[in-house]
Amino acid sequence: MLLTWLGLTEWSGVVSGARFPSPTETWNSFKIIAIQGYGNGKLYQHVLQSAILVTSGFLVSSSLGILLGILMGANKKIEAFVNPIFLTLRPIPPLAWIPLAIVWLGLGNSAKVMVIYVAAFVPAVINTFTGVRSIETPQKEAAAMLGVSRFAYYREVLIPGALPLIFTGLRLSLQASWTTLVAAELVGATLGLGSILNQAAQDINPAMILVGMISVAISGWLMTQILAKAERYAMPWRA
Amino acid sequence: MAHQERLNQGEYLLWTGLGITSFVGFWYLFVLLGVVPKQFLPPPHEVALKFIHLLNEPFSGYTLLAHIASSFQRFLYGFLLAVVIGVPLGLLMALSKYANQLITPFFESIRFVAPIAWVPFAALWFGTGIGGPVLVIFMGAFPPVLINTYRGAIHVDKKYLEAARMLGAGKFRLMTEVLFPAAIPSIIAGLRISAGLGWQSLVGAELIVASSGVGYMMVKGQASIQTDIVMSGMIAIGLIGLLIDVLLRQAEKFAVHYKEI
Amino acid sequence: MADIVFNSVQRSFKQGGKEFLAVGGIDLTVKDQEFVAIVGPSGCGKTTCLRMVAGLEMPSKGRILVGGKEVKGPGPDRAVVFQQFALFPWKTVQQNIEFGLNSMGLPGHEKQEKVSRLISLMGLEGYEEAYPHQLSGGMQQRVAIARAYVLEPEVLLMDEPFGALDAQTRVVMQEELVRLARKNPKTVLFITHAVEEAVYLADRVVVMSRRPGLIREVIDIKPIREQEGWDTHSRIEDVMDLSSFVQLRSQIWKLLREQNLGVDH
Repeated sequence: MLLTWLGLTEWSGVVSGARFPSPTETWNSFKIIAIQGYGNGKLYQHVLQSAILVTSGFLVSSSLGILLGILMGANKKIEAFVNPIFLTLRPIPPLAWIPLAIVWLGLGNSAKVMVIYVAAFVPAVINTFTGVRSIETPQKEAAAMLGVSRFAYYREVLIPGALPLIFTGLRLSLQASWTTLVAAELVGATLGLGSILNQAAQDINPAMILVGMISVAISGWLMTQILAKAERYAMPWRA
Repeated sequence: MAHQERLNQGEYLLWTGLGITSFVGFWYLFVLLGVVPKQFLPPPHEVALKFIHLLNEPFSGYTLLAHIASSFQRFLYGFLLAVVIGVPLGLLMALSKYANQLITPFFESIRFVAPIAWVPFAALWFGTGIGGPVLVIFMGAFPPVLINTYRGAIHVDKKYLEAARMLGAGKFRLMTEVLFPAAIPSIIAGLRISAGLGWQSLVGAELIVASSGVGYMMVKGQASIQTDIVMSGMIAIGLIGLLIDVLLRQAEKFAVHYKEI
Repeated sequence: MADIVFNSVQRSFKQGGKEFLAVGGIDLTVKDQEFVAIVGPSGCGKTTCLRMVAGLEMPSKGRILVGGKEVKGPGPDRAVVFQQFALFPWKTVQQNIEFGLNSMGLPGHEKQEKVSRLISLMGLEGYEEAYPHQLSGGMQQRVAIARAYVLEPEVLLMDEPFGALDAQTRVVMQEELVRLARKNPKTVLFITHAVEEAVYLADRVVVMSRRPGLIREVIDIKPIREQEGWDTHSRIEDVMDLSSFVQLRSQIWKLLREQNLGVDH
């Protein structure tokens, strides 16, 4: 596939460099941003900036989401109470919160974190809720029969049982967090992966755009791997 | 200990109602207390009024309805393009190992890039023309369509394929009359995911590279700190997104009607 | 002329690194318009033999010729009736039967005619617009047979076609198949593990040994059937009471038992 890329761009010039960069151009841009820096920082600084924002937002928001999901799953009153709010807010894509976030919090990092919160919250709640509800009745009855205390019930039955779906939710939250952050940074940021894309677009530097895109993909992939590791650690009983 | 009591109809409605009233109530409370300036958080009724107002009065060049139409049109183009390319390609890849080997590397490398990341290229290639958002939507909508079509086709029971081959069907008929109908449930599931992703990507794209559309309207509203406009935009986006999903769910039901008694 | 010739046919599988010989070495000729049934224990390779004639599998050694031509792949000249019916659930009865005809480039009215004829032949009137899931097992298999018959194939391959039906439906279908076969004789290869079914339906019965599948013996039914006038009895249970029938049946059972071959294992 690499060959096709090379072929189309460098060798035959079918696709001109102004529209889509060739491998060597991309490599050159990569070197530039990694070593000299581009758009207010070196590559690792951008990555770090984005990663920190995503991680903090994701961790806090999804934890809250999981909490709410558990409460909603365990208690039907809470579910009925929260549901309408959820149903109205859910169809609104996280990206649609960006303008509102900017109005409320300005163009700084806090607006981005807010949007990440929104993005990560919803999948976490839904999947946790489904996860809690998915615990089969026989297990619940067994727990009741064994006379476990409420606390132990939560710790030993509810949470482990819901864990698989909770992790699905976490994966979706993470994905959503990344996508949303990149979008938010595209709209207005001085540092961060999205800002690379933004700057490169304004400078009409296709090669740098591609470097940005690849960086986004790789960083996202890396974080998903870390999450997968956490998942395996948390659920050793799974194959 | 019974931690889950079944709620009867009445109780359920009660708590739902409480939820709604609390939400709206808190909103009003925040506004009344002046916790934030009125411009930043208009009371609910003002937002509703603005929404209705915008349906007929233009803002940034078009009425809300026109903006919605513009957004929806872009969505439709991108989504339909993804379907028209993705479904046949997915079926072909399931049928032919060569096609599969040829296309997979391209697909895998593109798949993990968030659709929004295509915006710079979209801007570069299309400026603020319609091509930009359509490209971004396509990038978001295409992977689920392809993956679900492929998976659906691959899992078709071999006996249908054997029967069809025995009956003399060529590759084309195999694809259209066997693989496609058999894979439809999976395909439509993919369409729903795809539509959701596509609609989201649209919003993102419009925030950056558009001169009309709901996202654009919201950006303009944000720039002039007209929060009610921004919120109206959000409501519109949510509603349309819901509508699309409902429509697709109906399509899903219809497509498998042959399975029902 | 549609005869089936097995020419030293072998079929082996690779499973977990080892090679299994499913079909040992078959030499068999099914004459034109002859109805041959193959019986044998489960796993003896009889279905594999049928699938090789159908072109759904290829022999590892040897050749299979139908009408003098080597079999290279599946096709409407060798129509198959599957045990699991394999009707297309998203098509109506009419559309299922039509399916094979659609690739033949026939004019519309001719297609219609053929399909209608088969629908009445198989007793499917009134069900043309029904979907498979709305039909009973017996009806579905009727559609499957109609779908195969409408192609006017040279060879009919039936793979335990009544295996998925309940006992009573099974009997009805066997009687119908006999009527059909006597009226519209075709070259038929019929796989079953039910000895009585084989004796009732076939002109000859091939008894296979367990894996690797080899032909143990071939029993002639037709001469005895014609001599004893089985076809004068319209009900299966009457035929099965005849001593000639019982004798043939025991003969085959003995062959199967001799090698400690249960019918199900």
